Parts: sequence; structure tokens; C-alpha cells
Amino acid sequence: MTAKLEGRVIDFILWGSLAAVLIFFYVPIFTLIAFSFQEGRFLTLPFEGISLRWYGELFRNSNALTALWNSTVIAVVTTLIATAIGTMAAIVAVRYRFKGREAFQLLAGVPLAFPQLLLGIVLLLWFSVLGRIFDFSTGITTAIIGHIVYITPFAMVIVAVQVFNFDATVEDAARDCGASTYEVYRYVTIPLLWPGIFSAAIFAFLLSWGNFYLTYSLAGSTRTLPTFIFSGIAIGSSPLYPAIATVVFIPGILLVILANRLRRS
Amino acid sequence: MAEEVPRRWRDPELLVKALPTVILQTTCFLAPLVMTFLLTFQRSRNFQLQWTWDLWTWTDIFSKPHYWTILLHTVFMAVACVAICLVIAFPVAYGLATRFKAWENEIKVLITFAFITDATLKIYGWALFLDKNGMANYLLGSLGLSPEIVAFLFTDWATLLGMVYSLLAFAIFTLYLSISNIDRSLILAAYDAGAGKLRAHWEVTLPLCKPGIWAGSVLIFLLSVGAFLEPKVLGGGKSPMSAELIRQTFETRVNWPLGAALTLMLMVVSVFIVLLFSRLIGLKRAGLAS
Repeated sequence: MTAKLEGRVIDFILWGSLAAVLIFFYVPIFTLIAFSFQEGRFLTLPFEGISLRWYGELFRNSNALTALWNSTVIAVVTTLIATAIGTMAAIVAVRYRFKGREAFQLLAGVPLAFPQLLLGIVLLLWFSVLGRIFDFSTGITTAIIGHIVYITPFAMVIVAVQVFNFDATVEDAARDCGASTYEVYRYVTIPLLWPGIFSAAIFAFLLSWGNFYLTYSLAGSTRTLPTFIFSGIAIGSSPLYPAIATVVFIPGILLVILANRLRRS
Repeated sequence: MAEEVPRRWRDPELLVKALPTVILQTTCFLAPLVMTFLLTFQRSRNFQLQWTWDLWTWTDIFSKPHYWTILLHTVFMAVACVAICLVIAFPVAYGLATRFKAWENEIKVLITFAFITDATLKIYGWALFLDKNGMANYLLGSLGLSPEIVAFLFTDWATLLGMVYSLLAFAIFTLYLSISNIDRSLILAAYDAGAGKLRAHWEVTLPLCKPGIWAGSVLIFLLSVGAFLEPKVLGGGKSPMSAELIRQTFETRVNWPLGAALTLMLMVVSVFIVLLFSRLIGLKRAGLAS
């Protein structure tokens, strides 16, 4: 009897804390969604009215659209490169035993535990000094390099989980049947790792798309959505920014659901 | 389970796959760090960098308590953030690993989305929520409470709330991983031996997920000493933290050597604190990545 009661109390605490945490996580997100439908110019309650006015403004605002385009370009390039490097690093880190393996794992993973703002600053100094020597200035390319440094370790960790559960005898079987190294990768290794690689790519895209700190330091005068929003809210708020937020949320949640499906299958 | 294949560095299979990472992280992570260190021995005159090779910047840092006060404040906030994250994350991670099986995927999707969404947007959302004329006060007001009960924005508490918000998911996921790796039979054995639920939890589950607790703490601590958006947007920039100070040193004062030195000081002190704690707790080495 007491055991049953104890079980109920534990259930209550666990579900209760889950509910509290989920509400906590979604408070700012729902606040933004709500304010995006505000008719008036001010972000205060009560609403003057409900309208889609600011979504219209958003698609007429050329700065916002440029920022959206820049974010997308940076995220696509970062995703391709970071996922490729991260996948290779995951295979090396999990499957191969070699001299300096621990050093490799540390080197490949340490940017994960490095504050992004500081990484941005350290890279900004680096590119500024190199820029003086080789005559270039920070812009979209340096931002992409910064994103790759930060996001590759994430991609590596996600693919590594898949590599860890990988049955290497399949590869041996293919090799015994006369497949070349390329063919083994093309037809066995990559397809088997694909769910992990694909969800790593989705995460890489989202991390890069929503990245503020590195872009802020490294993109020079190029604006992406996060830096556009940051400079906008520093000057003064308008429901334009919650509208941008809501537009950004939709592909985000769809991609997260897709990544989750892939990893399960 | 993948078996480990011994390889030599000359083996192209290894070389081709390892080289991109090695090149990337040495040229764009290690080399910039080394250069940052070298920059601290230079000086800044009239907003221009001068290659002087002396200890002027470091003397400046060690002679001004101002920098150290800010650092102390940052470390204090980071430790508070770690503690709060762990306390909040534990029941959720535990439930996720043991009891929420039917909803596990949906819960993970919701947490992941909240975690991965643009940090600027989320912090901005909090600012709107907590604003004097924002959601929180309106909701409280409509419940009949005094409308300005939330005078929370632009305090250290708001900063802390933002930091916990940004980093909580790291705690949930690291704890979840370590709890789901616990061999269930060990807990059942404790029950057989007559332990109650609480005692089994305290003496079996908690000690077994110590590595997860530690890994999560280290990650959150190191990431939260670099918090910048939270103190700026939610804290109102009133009590600056190290990241803000560093940013100002670069942007407003255009003093690269000093900024570089402050960056290194923050990192060295943070890593030192992590090592100190790991000694105290009795873990030999922290598993930083994976």
C-alpha cells in the first residue's frame, strides 16, 4: 500500500517537473508568437487588435529579406562542410585505434565546451591579424569558417552515436565479396550511417541558422537574421521582430521532428 | 557495437578522414588561441596595435581589482546556473529515462526545438514576457494581483533565469544519457536487499550517474562563463559580466591586447576551477566531449 502511494508521489513529482520545464521552455516562444499578431506598433499588453500586418511588413522589408538570405547561405555551406568533416571524425574517433587517439578526440570535441562569444573573439583577432597580412576583411566567408569550427564537433557527436552501433562485419562481408574501398563506403558504410549523418546535418543547419555569437563577431557588415534582430531590438522594438521569430520557428520545429523520425528508424 | 580497428597514421583510411578535423581545429582553433596569447604582450596606442612585447597588459590586469570583481561575479553566476540546472534537470531526465516511455519522442522533440532555436529570439521573448508592460504583469494583473508585481527584468535574477534557460537542455540530455545507461538490475537488487525507493535512489542511482552529473556541470559551467546576451538583454547591462567587459574592451576601447588578456584570464580561471572541483570530487579526468 505504502509502496503504491510512494509510486504515485514519485510519478506526480516527475510529471509535474516535466510539465513545469516544458512551460518554462515555451514561455518566450509563445510570447513571441502572440506578439507577432499585435496590430499596433508597441509590444505591450493589452493588444490593440489582432492582425497579420507585421507579416506583410516583414516581406516588404528588404533588410530582413537580405538577412534571411545570408543566414540561409551561411547555414547551407556550413552544414555541408561541417557534416562531412564531422562524419569522418566520428568514424576515426569511434572505430580506429591509433597513436594519439585521445588527443584527436579532445581536439575534435573541445570547441563544444568553449563559450561561443569567446570563440568568436579569438577568431576575430586571428582573422584581423591575418587580414592585415593577406589583405582581406571579415565577411560571409569568415563567418562560415567560424560556424564550421563550432558546429563540426556537434555533427561528430551525433554521427558518433550511429557509428557506435554500427556492425562492422557488414563491411568485411562486402569486402570479401570483392568490393573496393570506394564501393564499401558508397554502398555499405554511408547508407548504414545515413540516419545519423542526416540528423547531424539538420542540427548543423539549425545551429548555424540561429547562430548569433559567431556571426556577430565574424560576419563584418553582413547581417544574418539573429544579428539583424539583435541590432533591431537594441534600437527599439516593433512587432516585426516577433513576426520574424514566428516565421523562423516553423522550419525549425519541422526539421527537429524530421531528425527525430530519422534517428528512430 | 563497433569494434576498434588498429591503424597507423600512414594508413590512408585514417589519414584522409582525420586530416580535415586536425587541419580545421589547429588552424582555426589552436592557432588563434596561441595568437591571442601572444597578443597579450603587445600594447594599444591610439586604437592601433603596437608590437611591443612587454608585460604592460598583464601588469594592468593584476593591478586593477575591477577586472577581478567582474570575474568573481561571473564565476558566481555560473556556479549558481550549474546548481539550478542540475536540480531542475534531474527529475526530468530521470523521468525521461525511466517513466515517460510512451511520450519519450515527443518530449525530446519539444526540448530539442526549444534548445536549438535562435538564442537571440528566445532571450528577446523573455524580455517581452518580463517587461513592465509585458505578459507576466498582464497575466498577474488579470488574476487580480498587483500589476507591477514582476519588477524582475534588469536584475541579476533575470540574467540567471536567462542563463538557466539557455543551458538547461545540456543538463537534461547529459543526465538522461547517464541515467539510461544504468543497469536496471542493480536497482532491483537494491530493492531485493530491502532498500526503499528513496534509499535505492540515494545509494545506487545517484552515485551511478555521477559521471553524467559531472560532465553536464562542466559543460554548463564553461559555457555560462561566456554568457553575453542574457546579462545584456535581460540584466540590462547594469552589473556587467566578463563577456560584456571583453566585448566592450574590443568594441568601445579598441584595445586588443587587453581584450585578449581578459579572454585568456576568463578561460584559465574557468578551467582552473573545473580542475579544482574535479580534484575535490575525486574524479581523475573530466570527459569533456562525447
